[in-house]
Amino acid sequence: MAATTESVKADAAEAPLLNRRNIVLGMLLYFVFYSWVRWYEGVYGWSAGLDSFAPEFETYWMNFLYIELVLEVVVASALWGYIWKSRDRKVMSITPREELRRHFTHWTWLIMYGWAIYWGASYFTEQDGTWHQTIIRDTDFTPSHVIEFYLSYPIYIITGVSAFLYAKTRLPTYQEGLHLQYMVAIIGPFMILPNVGLNEWGHTFWFMEELFVAPLHYGFVFFGWAALGVLGVLNTEVIAIGKLIKKDLM
Amino acid sequence: MSASQSAVRSRAEAVAVSRTFDWMILFVLFTVVLGGYHIHFMLTGGDWDFWSDWKDRRLWVTVVPIVAITFPAAVQACLWWRYRLPIGATLCVLALLLGEWINRYMNFWGWTYFPINICFPSQLIPGAIILDVVLMLSGSMTLTAVAGGLGWGLIFYPSNWPVIAPLHQPVEYNGMMFTLADLSGYHYVRTGTPEYIRMVEKGTLRTFGKDVAPVSAFFSGFVSVIIYFLWHFFGKWFAGTGFIADDAS
Repeated sequence: MAATTESVKADAAEAPLLNRRNIVLGMLLYFVFYSWVRWYEGVYGWSAGLDSFAPEFETYWMNFLYIELVLEVVVASALWGYIWKSRDRKVMSITPREELRRHFTHWTWLIMYGWAIYWGASYFTEQDGTWHQTIIRDTDFTPSHVIEFYLSYPIYIITGVSAFLYAKTRLPTYQEGLHLQYMVAIIGPFMILPNVGLNEWGHTFWFMEELFVAPLHYGFVFFGWAALGVLGVLNTEVIAIGKLIKKDLM
Repeated sequence: MSASQSAVRSRAEAVAVSRTFDWMILFVLFTVVLGGYHIHFMLTGGDWDFWSDWKDRRLWVTVVPIVAITFPAAVQACLWWRYRLPIGATLCVLALLLGEWINRYMNFWGWTYFPINICFPSQLIPGAIILDVVLMLSGSMTLTAVAGGLGWGLIFYPSNWPVIAPLHQPVEYNGMMFTLADLSGYHYVRTGTPEYIRMVEKGTLRTFGKDVAPVSAFFSGFVSVIIYFLWHFFGKWFAGTGFIADDAS
């Protein structure tokens, strides 16, 4: 049945189920890029990031901000646009093996999402804490914020939405409607970015450097909980993959 | 697809596919939980966890277990009830600690030059093992909440004792007596130096000095029981597989 549809390329049946190279290259890409970012912070945070009124701050930090914002819009538009434009219009007709292959690709996307979440929500967010415990801010766009809020968060948002779009456009499992917990797992952490508005609004009234657990930050906490939506995605995937394999593995 | 079709060609391939998915799932679960748990923890209990001079006998002991039992309870709700995996709490805590240790080395020390012995994270692994073991042996959410949650709170201070005790030794400095942790803090002044904002070692019953930590741990365990119940149900909700209407489909 499905092998005769347009949706499955003739050679797809022989392609490997999982392309491990994509996982390795994807993770290396983020790792190398963020290592470079961390080096940049180490050098230019101290030498050019202490006084937002200094000309070097504009050179090294505000220009970094402008460039990353433009690149993020371009990358998000291109990536999401590509995934949507190349969607499978006969997704319910694919063979079980092709479906399994796509689940592997989907999990490759999810691995990248998890990796991006780690860098954004863990590495660069707690890093922001120690910077503000050391340097009193005189701008919303501190060196740590330029990286944390406006680089690492958009990157995990772009990655997460890409994973969701891939599932929605290529996997029969997700054609039933909108998977509630998948949306929670993507939109919740996404909302951390708009919540930056609340954060910066509050910090323009009060410094509050002295207390990382200040209630002003609870918006981040609330939306961080949404990461647990990954449990629902996990359960849905296990059910779907179990049906595809149809073997007693015990 | 056909109900009789399988996506794999042999049992061996099915096993290989299943094991590969296991590793992919574990990585995603670990990293996503790490991110969510870490951002939750650093912004609800972080200050007490960041600095050794915040690790006092009252608020650190009270706050940290209460805010930290959340994600373990939620993940247990999924991994135990769906897969009979008694590793939910330990997985959460190991993820959190890995994220914290990397950060303390790479950023607290590597970027802003605080020594590790002033900014090491709190120890949570013994409490997580208690939660997982109680759930595994009892199979009961109620018992895990009551016995496990109470144990989680009570064991927090003792499990941190080996590392914090040397820093609570008294020292005399310019005619004043305080702890070694306080002395470290004096030399590494932060915007959140605790003596400045007065959120450590405070209270009207300080004359009961030696009782402060056990009383705080007991209270923390009590609240942890309640938080466990709440977050266990959160976890069940987050583990749902439901769909909502999609106008486009």
